Amino acid sequence: MLYLRLARGYRIGDLGRWLLTATAAAAVAAFLLRALGRALSEPAGVSVERLFWCLPPLAAVGWFAAVAARALPAARPERITGLTAAGAGPTSIRTLIAGETALACALGSGLTLLAFLVLRNDVAGASLAPEVGLGVPLPVSAPITLLLLVPLVAGGSAAAAFPLTDALPGRSELPHRNGFGALRLALPTGLVLVGLSLELYGLRPGADQDGRPIGLPAGLGATSDAALVGWTFAALGLALLTAPLLAWGGRLLALGRPTPLRLLAGRGLTAEADRLGTPLAVLALALATVLTAIRYWAHRSGTVEAVPAVEATLIVCCAAASVLIRAAHIRSSRREVTAALVQLGTAPRLLLGAAVLRTAAAGTVLLVSGGLTAALAAGVLR
Amino acid sequence: MSAAPPDNDVLWARGIVKSHQGTPALRGISVGVRDGEVLAITGPRGSGKSTLLGCLSALLPVDEGEVWFNSAPVHTLTRTGRERLRRDRFGFVGSEPHLVPELTARENVALPLLLAGAGHKAAYASAAEWLERLDVADCTARRPGELIQSQRQRIAVARALAPLPPVVFADDPTAPLHRDAQDQVLRILITAARSHQLTLVLATHNPELARFADRTVALTDGRLSSPVAPVPRGTSPVSAGR
Repeated sequence: MLYLRLARGYRIGDLGRWLLTATAAAAVAAFLLRALGRALSEPAGVSVERLFWCLPPLAAVGWFAAVAARALPAARPERITGLTAAGAGPTSIRTLIAGETALACALGSGLTLLAFLVLRNDVAGASLAPEVGLGVPLPVSAPITLLLLVPLVAGGSAAAAFPLTDALPGRSELPHRNGFGALRLALPTGLVLVGLSLELYGLRPGADQDGRPIGLPAGLGATSDAALVGWTFAALGLALLTAPLLAWGGRLLALGRPTPLRLLAGRGLTAEADRLGTPLAVLALALATVLTAIRYWAHRSGTVEAVPAVEATLIVCCAAASVLIRAAHIRSSRREVTAALVQLGTAPRLLLGAAVLRTAAAGTVLLVSGGLTAALAAGVLR
Repeated sequence: MSAAPPDNDVLWARGIVKSHQGTPALRGISVGVRDGEVLAITGPRGSGKSTLLGCLSALLPVDEGEVWFNSAPVHTLTRTGRERLRRDRFGFVGSEPHLVPELTARENVALPLLLAGAGHKAAYASAAEWLERLDVADCTARRPGELIQSQRQRIAVARALAPLPPVVFADDPTAPLHRDAQDQVLRILITAARSHQLTLVLATHNPELARFADRTVALTDGRLSSPVAPVPRGTSPVSAGR
């Protein structure tokens, strides 16, 4: 009942977040149930590997739920202050947010289960029979256990990501860090260098004589272990380098004797590099991997399997939505700063220009980081 | 359009009515601000001081009534016109510093000058000078997050004064400060106003602080609660140096 009453106050943004969570949960539930159906129809098959393939989309849903929960206090401060005034402590607010996310996921998963049960009645013909385990009795606990996984993961990550200190009214999270420590720079740079040299070693002329022992899933061929480990290292390093790259981009924008436009855009980007960097790195990694895989499929076979394609779409959508939500989060947490700038007589055109400059700089970083990751991935899939 | 304001009033409001989403804040206020004076607007919390300051400083559009600045109507200006007026003619200190967190103290103070089109060198030199005057010269290269509240508020005062706007609005500028700092910041604000012939409109809930002003207007529940009572010049503690 409480959730229904809370839902009555939803605005378009809340509704979008709720619907996206439910849709993504429904898709993950479909993957889980397909794995179950396959396991029922072919008991001797590779059912564990199929379940393992449900993990990336599950992680994507969890990541989206976490980013969305983190943005909530800044987006709807009045809701948090209202709940606090009504006597809810940080823990109960956290539980409430987690419950909201879990409810959306449970609804999405429930709809998928309904569709699964309908399909098991042989409405779709023989084509879907092995996917839904047609003709094999369904143990009741199996779908329930599998479907509980999505609400639990999403709710848990939302609860873990919910900012406890910000839940109290009057606390504002202002960026105060201007740079990155030596470790934050040395670790990713080292990872990228080690990864690059490993991958170059794996791709050296004559490396094919050692064979390509590692078989990649989803029809992606085979590769050598040096190349794969090298790519993993380099991709991780590049992802960790995204936030420092954003900060440097901001410094570059405000270099020399900046105009107010460059000053506001550059310093703002440097200040928000940490918050914007993480979702941007995840998006760059997801896009790079997916685009390289699509290119490989198109080159080799000319066809793309449906399940990996849906999975890739889901992951990219969740990562992109997380970047958008984080951008909205930054915007709403800077509401007071924007109001102060407007009071100084800053023209909205200038503020818009600064936002456009920041977006362009972030896009460039996305291109650089994602492009490098994709190029290295293409080397692995050669 | 009705009669033009008296000549010696730099800012003039007549019968302004303003409500916030249905909640009445001002219910017909007429007030004139003379050129170069320090006008205090007093009243308890919720009496409409901030709203009146917002309407006078062209931040909020009025629902009814007229606001004139230098014999030009403000209430008919478009949003862009009001922005330009605020940028070029008005300075504003709020009860919270509201500095831009990612800019250093000097950049914060130089920002309005840069926005108004001043050169980089001149803006930064002026900013450093004002920071020194407000006793926060040692914070020049630091960001607001590293400073304590009273230092931040001094920087906000420097930001409002640096472009030397003809009118400075101060909305309870001493609210976040301790008593000793309150007096000092207010003295600096008023001395700066007097020495540069700026007009200062000061809203405060503390009647004690109104003693610094040339004239006091009291507000209660969105109305003027007392006729404008002129205080003879010379009785105000900081007007002696004028």
